[in-house]
Amino acid sequence: MTADTNTTDAKPIRSSLVWKRFKRQRTLHLFVWIGILYLLVFAYTPMFGILMAFKNYTIVQGIKGIFTSSWAGFKYFIEFYNDYKFYDIVRNTLVLSFLKVIFTFPIPILFAIMLNEAKNMAFKRVVQTASYLPHFISWVVVLGLSFTFFSSNVGLINQLLLDWGWIDKPLPILTSPNYFWGLAVGSAMWKEAGWWAIIFLAAIAGINPTLYEAAQIDGAGRLARIWHITLPGIRGTVVVVLILTIGSILGGGLVGSNFDQAFLMGNAGNNDTSEIVQTYAFKVGLAQGRYSYAAAIDLVQSVISVILIFTSNAIARKVSGTSLF
Amino acid sequence: MKKTWGSLFILTLILALLAGCGGGGNAKSGSNSGGQTGQNGSASDSGSQDEIVELDLFINHSWYPVRSWTGSIAEEITKRTGVKLNVTVAADSEQLPLMIASGDLPDLIFTLREPRLENPDMSYPWNELIEKYAPDFEIDPVRLAVNTAQDGNVYTVLNSFATPEEWASNPYALGNDGNPGIAVRQDILDELGAKIETLDDFVSVLEQVKQKYPDMVPMTMDIEWIPQYFKMQFGIPPHSSWHEQDGQLKHIISHPKALEFYKFMNSLYRNGYILAENFTYSNDQIDDEYAVTGRAFAHSHTVSVAEADNAKVKNQGGNYQFTMIPSALTDEAYNLSTGTGFSGVYITKNNKNPQKSIELIKFLASKEGLELVMFGIEGQHWEWHPDGYPVFHYDVNDADYVNSEGLKWWYLYSDAIVEGLRGYVPGTQTTKALQEIKEITEHNPAIGMVKLQDGTDEKVIFDKVAEMVKTEEVRIYLAESEEAAEQAYQNMLKLAEGIGLSKLESWATAEYKKMQELFNQ
Repeated sequence: MTADTNTTDAKPIRSSLVWKRFKRQRTLHLFVWIGILYLLVFAYTPMFGILMAFKNYTIVQGIKGIFTSSWAGFKYFIEFYNDYKFYDIVRNTLVLSFLKVIFTFPIPILFAIMLNEAKNMAFKRVVQTASYLPHFISWVVVLGLSFTFFSSNVGLINQLLLDWGWIDKPLPILTSPNYFWGLAVGSAMWKEAGWWAIIFLAAIAGINPTLYEAAQIDGAGRLARIWHITLPGIRGTVVVVLILTIGSILGGGLVGSNFDQAFLMGNAGNNDTSEIVQTYAFKVGLAQGRYSYAAAIDLVQSVISVILIFTSNAIARKVSGTSLF
Repeated sequence: MKKTWGSLFILTLILALLAGCGGGGNAKSGSNSGGQTGQNGSASDSGSQDEIVELDLFINHSWYPVRSWTGSIAEEITKRTGVKLNVTVAADSEQLPLMIASGDLPDLIFTLREPRLENPDMSYPWNELIEKYAPDFEIDPVRLAVNTAQDGNVYTVLNSFATPEEWASNPYALGNDGNPGIAVRQDILDELGAKIETLDDFVSVLEQVKQKYPDMVPMTMDIEWIPQYFKMQFGIPPHSSWHEQDGQLKHIISHPKALEFYKFMNSLYRNGYILAENFTYSNDQIDDEYAVTGRAFAHSHTVSVAEADNAKVKNQGGNYQFTMIPSALTDEAYNLSTGTGFSGVYITKNNKNPQKSIELIKFLASKEGLELVMFGIEGQHWEWHPDGYPVFHYDVNDADYVNSEGLKWWYLYSDAIVEGLRGYVPGTQTTKALQEIKEITEHNPAIGMVKLQDGTDEKVIFDKVAEMVKTEEVRIYLAESEEAAEQAYQNMLKLAEGIGLSKLESWATAEYKKMQELFNQ
């Protein structure tokens, strides 16, 4: 800043320098601009639709109706707050999301470390492939599978438990509110743990092998090496992934899929624990053509998400010195 | 044991497959049970000599099985009226709203009642066109009352409707498949030596099945057809969201018999006759699998369930048969038809030839037109039985043939009586069940005319109550004791009240009274 004000001819020199640097980096810039363009078109531009939450909007008014319809103020937010299910669905959303982070976040890390320690290459490959394959199965198919396994009448698990005499009545795994959270967290873990282990495996591969050799010479055992070299080596990756996870926590975090699970595995039987903000917004908002109400409900969730990501970022910076921004 | 595992494995595979592809397929019309013969106007020989007029028709039903103006019926209509239709079927439910918003309308639109088309800027009122071009086209007063728009004009007349008198006057005109029914395994019934004539009989047979065939599920239910049959037995209108009580229109959950009905359903669950899972099936195939693989004794679905199951069992080489149980098992059994019709034609302001358009409708509304569309060409496709019902030379249930000929689906103007005659096939279980239902059916189109408009407070309350009932109802069905069921029912009423049911009911009552006046005029 001060350099600029001192001399008058410094400016053209400077801008030509900038131009030179820009030319040198033009390929990199291209990448950045494509990303920014993507965000502008698909993330920022559609945000004007948030206006709907504060307006009396109906779909017949078309896109311009978002601007021309009358203001509703906080009417739809108040309606949501007064809804008889408000507490249940907010609780379900938060509990399901936190349970998922607590149980599904450490698993891929442990899994990656275990895989890394396995010495038999063939075994390692088979296990890795088998564990990330479920990632490619859609939730609709997982629902079908879960029926096959957990149905109280035809489900494999219930049949086995009954045959072995461990239970005398089939467990209502799919229909009772007591099982939904476990079912959701368990199936998400099964589906995504192998996939996310890949990113940690990559981080582990980036650790300098000489460190391990040195530690070995110093007499460190396997656990000591994991504790003192592997874990600190992937700390940066872990923190970044954790922040991303918490940023999307209300969607299910790392493993995502809160909506898919609640929508597909949720049913009238387990509704007490399976109804979440997103499915409710879909059912009472979109499915009934109440776009304003749906927008208001979802906006509430977005606000909670934003608060969570800023908090987690701040905590991460304090605790580990690593943060996203 | 080996067998159990074998069938378990097969069922597993089937279900896994079904989970992937469930959902589609059941978009059938659901055309209402209302219905009848329109007018007495005779077919005019209008226009056949003139050159052929081509009009664009938009069909606002994405599932519509006919998509072009082909087949012998379409050709015959063109021959008689001089009108050829260029057909477009909606890609999805947003297409029509978009056309309306942009003003880019075709000549004719065939759709469910669409209030946005019911104003003189969008459509020609039929009453004006009839006065001008077809003064001898008469529509009966009930149909006019049912179809009169807010501004007093008639913009369309919905098909698939009949007045209570028309229903009563034709014994062969029956309702359609949209009526509940339960089929049971005849072989097991014989083995038990049991008969089902009352609701108690039915429950006791379920108990015997549970005792003697512990591997079987006593009853499996189609996810869309769980309460209807039993509501009917308790005297609760099975299809309506409303019931009349002392001149007031009340929501169906507060029907005086509702608690008794819910307690009964709950007892079926508590006694182990139905599975809790049945209330959560994600598609309408799982119950069919139970029935046709011999894992269920009773199967609740529609009036055609026994014949549909028998056909499947036969295809699979099974050696047992399903039989319908009577449609009425109690003295209180009752069905209410509130149908006001299914869909109708709007003649838009963009129409190139309003005269030909109304003449086309006049032809379709004539006796010849109605019979041509529903039955086919007389002599070639069908002929009258001396008793007064049509005998067909083709299988009316052969969808491929019916669609390729364009039978039934060009019912742009039609009525429930000709449609009902098409379903009369003497000697079948379905026909018998429909006849039994007809005996206990009352008609009250005034209730069906109480229509909620999008964007109103009443519509929001109605939808919220409906969404709430979906989950609260299952809580009652699956309660662990009768007391808990009763409590869950009271809780559901309380929640409905909290959402604003009283407000909705007083609005509905006021509307209902207006509609009744229309009928009394």
